[in-house]
Amino acid sequence: MKIDFIVNDKPISVDVDPDMPLLWVVRDELGLKATKYGCGKALCGACTLHLDGDAIRSCSFPVQYVANKKVRTLEGLCLNKETLHPIQQTWIDENVPQCGYCQPGFMMAAAKFIETNDNPTEEEIKSGITNICRCGTQPRIIKAIKRAVAIKQSTQPKDKL
Amino acid sequence: MTTANTKKLSRRKFFQRGAIVLGGVIVATYLGRGVIRRFAAQLAEDMDAPALIANNESLIWFEILPDNTVLIKSPKIEMGQGIFTGFAMLAAEELDVSLNQIKVIHANTADGPVDRISTGGSSSTSSLYKSIREMAAYIREMLKETAAKKWSVSVFKVNTQDGILSSEAHKITYADLAKSTIEWEEPATPELRPASQFKFVGKEVKRTDLRPKVFGEPIYAIDQSLPDMVYATLLQSPYIEAIIRHMEIKEALKQLGVIRVIQEEDLVAVIAKNRYAAEKGLEKIRVEWDIPEKWQQAEIEKLTKVGVGNEVSVQKVGSAKGILKENNDEVFTEQYRTSIGAHAHMEPNGAIANYHNGKLKIIIGTQAPDLLRKAVASALDLSVDDVEIELTFAGGAFGRRMDTKLAIGAARISKIIGKPVQLFNTREQEFLNGVYRPQTHHVLAAKISQTGAVEAVTHDQATPDQIFAQIPADLGPTVFGADFISAGHGASIMYNVENKAATMWHNKLPIEVGIWRGVGMFANTFAIESFFNELAYKTSNDPIAFRIELLQGKEKINQRCVKVLETLREKSEWNQTKAGGIGRGMAICNDRKTISAVVAEVKVMDKKIQVVKITQVIDAGLAINPDGIRMQVEGATMMGITAALYEEIIIEDARIINSNFDKYPMVTLADTPKINVVIVEGEVVPLGVGEPPLSPVAPAIAAAVFDLTGQRLRSLPMKLS
Repeated sequence: MKIDFIVNDKPISVDVDPDMPLLWVVRDELGLKATKYGCGKALCGACTLHLDGDAIRSCSFPVQYVANKKVRTLEGLCLNKETLHPIQQTWIDENVPQCGYCQPGFMMAAAKFIETNDNPTEEEIKSGITNICRCGTQPRIIKAIKRAVAIKQSTQPKDKL
Repeated sequence: MTTANTKKLSRRKFFQRGAIVLGGVIVATYLGRGVIRRFAAQLAEDMDAPALIANNESLIWFEILPDNTVLIKSPKIEMGQGIFTGFAMLAAEELDVSLNQIKVIHANTADGPVDRISTGGSSSTSSLYKSIREMAAYIREMLKETAAKKWSVSVFKVNTQDGILSSEAHKITYADLAKSTIEWEEPATPELRPASQFKFVGKEVKRTDLRPKVFGEPIYAIDQSLPDMVYATLLQSPYIEAIIRHMEIKEALKQLGVIRVIQEEDLVAVIAKNRYAAEKGLEKIRVEWDIPEKWQQAEIEKLTKVGVGNEVSVQKVGSAKGILKENNDEVFTEQYRTSIGAHAHMEPNGAIANYHNGKLKIIIGTQAPDLLRKAVASALDLSVDDVEIELTFAGGAFGRRMDTKLAIGAARISKIIGKPVQLFNTREQEFLNGVYRPQTHHVLAAKISQTGAVEAVTHDQATPDQIFAQIPADLGPTVFGADFISAGHGASIMYNVENKAATMWHNKLPIEVGIWRGVGMFANTFAIESFFNELAYKTSNDPIAFRIELLQGKEKINQRCVKVLETLREKSEWNQTKAGGIGRGMAICNDRKTISAVVAEVKVMDKKIQVVKITQVIDAGLAINPDGIRMQVEGATMMGITAALYEEIIIEDARIINSNFDKYPMVTLADTPKINVVIVEGEVVPLGVGEPPLSPVAPAIAAAVFDLTGQRLRSLPMKLS
């Protein structure tokens, strides 16, 4: 089945099994490898990306439902490597990744989280993201999210706060 | 001009650091087995882990690139530990370049020095601490000698800074000199710079692999592809020791995208145009399995029990067993258990293989490239020279990437179909067809004297082989009797007790078992430290003061332990009053000379244990990258909490029931305590960091739970009643 959608601001067209999860389409058909396979059952969050602005777990999302929608992967999170998204910036500031495999999913989940939570408490951060990391980067992920929230607050126009 | 002690070198030659060999085998004939086993067990406990570098002939570790950066080919794999960053820092100390002028990549078997054993045992940095600096110093001196000759100046007048050689009016970059030089001047072996002159070691440095990981670059094996590559999935039995009685592949072949199904006696695989089709095809194969025995959890547990299997003594000081036997009615004894565990690393195991014209290439994130190369060569009846292993970053490992099964499977499939193939486990296969951290059973017994001193203590531990199950070694079962290297690691009692003994009971499980992050030390520390917390309580002693008393001594290791405990007491505010509803407990471990100690604070809500704060003090010797150490301690703490509270492989009807993360819970952000890491530097050389800080976490939590609830939880994972 031919399916048209937009990935990282670029219109694309794929001809694949409509049941194929979006994860495998972006990875193997489009060659965007940042989005990771972790569990195949929407349990670990390694495959998190944005669909029309929402964070979804793409391993369990059939590509047929993506038609005419906008997909954003970690490759498209920042404009270029000099102008980082606050989440990428604070992931660097806090020296977050270890093996790094789960981090794209965490960063996409966190990018959405700070967009919808202006001034989250630590408890809200802890319950707001349920991704899994085996290396144990959770303490730094929490710090990086807090720091990204602060960046976002300092760069937002005052009347929006 | 050249100095007198240099000679010409047309081929770059770099040195090797020797390996440590377990030398006790020969003595065995004279001493008898019991003694040699104890000797070897203690040697393994104390030894500095060696780095055995394969391909030891003039292979290039370092390259100076045209853009005046230095490439280092690491013999050890980066699986999250941060070793590439430490290697860059060490090389920079001697090379006189900035950190961003160094790039560390993995060595491949085709062109670099890979480790002969494995990346593991928290040994990467400590084993290469000296050799990386030696080679860097050697290269620097070689550049200087060559520049001195080129400019006809004394080598003492040549300066090196930021990758530039200079002498008065002369100036040339390392790269330009390398480009224009055919005959190198070989210097005398240079002296290493003393620690007092270190510019990078000890500084807060960001990971060198940070940016690729934050931008999601394709650095893992699962991200790689080759032209014309197809995707495969491997049929693996969901039941223990089951074999195929009958199989039907018709429906699998009908799956859109499936190219073929390979059916050989010991290899059934679905080949497809994409990963999704390969997975769907596999689901559609109908298999009837012959299950030889319907294993249940209770039966599995009985297999690992003190008193069952081969008995091997690993520690004997005084006559502990005799004293306990004679005073049977005064003996205090307790039992402890740890569960079977999975690795649950985030990138499942797998490999890419390309068999072409009798030559094979494997792309994989493996901990043991040299062992894998030999295993694959043997399985495909190839010469080792015809097998190339290309290494990638590993998406977690924790011991699971000692595996050879999937690389061999991929290689065989590629040979059969004549194309490159990518073969990865599904998450379900990773849980059901893994190699597990085996369960353990421990019995500890002690006699306390009239004055309240510990007069005698014994530790009996039962578990299957761990590392011995994964590295083929004839020595293991015959001479040593049990796997003292990993299963027995930490089984001996470190405290000053006049009469003490440790015994291993070697037994087997029907599932594949192997190493895991700090595997033996983790289980043994849980048992021994839990027991010593109980002894402290029984003798009305403060657990930290009790341990300090039992660790008095002139030996450096004792003094370092005491320093760590005193630091822990201060930094955890041990003597301050606790907040209401909080329990507090502690534990310590000595993991091949790295000392780590933990104070855990917990609370309990609706019978759920919540760890709220961890203070961990670590003395891993010289701290090369302090933030790298903190990352490892934080990570080991989180994995330690998972091991203490959640993880447990369960077997029902010959099948592992933990098929995915929903049935194998692990910590999330919600479980994250406040973690305070304190670094003590009690040695002038670096020691291991990756594994040691995991071990004291579970016994400290158990002690904190007792402090709060009065319940002694002696089995992992802990469950409140």
